[in-house]
Amino acid sequence: MNELTLIDEHGKRSDGRGIDDLRPIKITVGVIKNADGSAFIEFGKNKIIVAVYGPREVHPKHMALPDRCVLRCRYHMSPFSTDTRKNPAPSRREVEISKVIRESLEPSLILSDYPRAVIDVFVEVLQADGGSRCAGIIAASVALADAGINMRDLVSACAAGRLGDNIVLDINDLEDKEGDADMPVAYLPNIEQITLLQLDGKLSTSQFNECLNKAIQGCKLVYEIQKEALMKKYFGNELELKEEVV
Amino acid sequence: MQEIKRRYVIPGDKIIEGNYKPLMNVMKSGDYLISTRIGIAEAGKDGVKVIPLSGVYIPRVNDLVIGKVIDRSSLSWDIDINSCFFAHLPAQDVFGRDFSPARDDMGRQLNIGDLIIARIVSFDRTRDPMLTVQDKDLGKIPYGEFIKISPTRVPRLIGKRGSMIQTIEQATQTRVIIGQNGIVVVTGRDIEGLSLAVKAIKMVEEESHTTNLTQRVKSLLNVHDPSELEQSENAVSSTAEVSNDAVSSTAEVSNDAVSSTAEVSNDAVSSSSSSSSSSPTPPVTSDSSSQINLDRQEQSYSTAESQPQQQNFASVDSSNIKDDVEQSENDDASSNLADAYQKEKKQEANNEVV
Repeated sequence: MNELTLIDEHGKRSDGRGIDDLRPIKITVGVIKNADGSAFIEFGKNKIIVAVYGPREVHPKHMALPDRCVLRCRYHMSPFSTDTRKNPAPSRREVEISKVIRESLEPSLILSDYPRAVIDVFVEVLQADGGSRCAGIIAASVALADAGINMRDLVSACAAGRLGDNIVLDINDLEDKEGDADMPVAYLPNIEQITLLQLDGKLSTSQFNECLNKAIQGCKLVYEIQKEALMKKYFGNELELKEEVV
Repeated sequence: MQEIKRRYVIPGDKIIEGNYKPLMNVMKSGDYLISTRIGIAEAGKDGVKVIPLSGVYIPRVNDLVIGKVIDRSSLSWDIDINSCFFAHLPAQDVFGRDFSPARDDMGRQLNIGDLIIARIVSFDRTRDPMLTVQDKDLGKIPYGEFIKISPTRVPRLIGKRGSMIQTIEQATQTRVIIGQNGIVVVTGRDIEGLSLAVKAIKMVEEESHTTNLTQRVKSLLNVHDPSELEQSENAVSSTAEVSNDAVSSTAEVSNDAVSSTAEVSNDAVSSSSSSSSSSPTPPVTSDSSSQINLDRQEQSYSTAESQPQQQNFASVDSSNIKDDVEQSENDDASSNLADAYQKEKKQEANNEVV
């Protein structure tokens, strides 16, 4: 497959998007009754469900930290999430993504508020279409807020990449495999800090800067969707901040 | 100085700019105070706080909690208080300072599976919470309907000066014990009243942040405001129809409530069955104050005006229930019921003492 199919002469990508367009995102909060917090995200063709349990007591006990909470993440792809069956045993890739999701969420949480406890985050990919780690981070952050854990900020995430000479936002599965670079970024929109930055491919310095800025812009768009989903769950349809003088 | 205002916030939202004191679920970031939880932000002269709408229970000193005995060592019981920390109840607290593990049998006071209501005496970041049952109305809960609600809904369930819980208790002739940790135990003699109270509590939990909740709870419980009562008395001719409607709706309500109770009691089965297993041989208590006293006839019923603002659990004098019943319905049968209820309670109290 050559690059022309990734971006046509009108600037349209393989799925019909422009170079600065996100895939459609839909987040539903509180989908799992047994969990303390949960969220379901549809990020293009990605379908990911996230459950958060905790703060709860640590088992095994020796894992507990005396001064802060332990955050445990498990990213897992269902056997039916890809076109060929995926072995359900945790692969090297899943172990790594579990780690990067944990590290991208940790700076947003005030873990010192819950010493000797643990927060478990389960990210289950039901359907995968590229960018599932970003979608997992977005949903996990919303689920953590739903669980009522003290946070400095929500974490939003978005990838940007390079297709030939074009820097594009939100890489999908095809573009990830056939494109030239893929850069997932997780970002704290209010604090304006980056908590995850990975790069697969080659970028020049100017391309890197453009890619990073584009990804941050994407994160800000995603943040609005996260905020709207949380507001909808807790305050009904009053999406605007309701202000009243007491 | 900005005006005092309330608004909805999510984590990371800037609440207010300026030199305000952060009180609860708020942190300082640059010149702004930002929220750390989903909730309702309140900025006042004394400081800024966010009333959270979700989250698990984190113990605080002086909280009244309902817990389940899950384990016991030679010197203390371990209590599950629906939090990420297990609480400890030292045996000396129940047996007194001269407690001896060799002489005293801890199983005679509390067994694994028993429910207790206790107060948190100490808790900090380095130690697990410590409980006490040495106070009035604290101790073992012998029976009741067990409900778990979100701890963030507890203030709403209690209501302003205990108004919500009093409404539920009076309308259903039950007694509701609320722990700050989100565990609620409902006791009462009438099964329909019990299931109606459970239904009302579930309703408060699900719709806690909506407006006009008190009115909807009252309509669920068939409680009318005095003004409405006067109107209904004036409209004598339509009373018969109204009462028929009311009866049919009550039947529906109670059916629903029974099904919901069945769900709820799944959780409760483990605790209530284990506590009932010990009930054939009621524990002999040397210190009657540690045993929860369900017979509250001696206590004066505290009215809404005279109550302390932070009422952790509301109590209803059964004689007052009787008065209410007589006033509202003027029905001999129901007052006989209330008398029988009182007599039975007296007998139970005597049995416990024996």
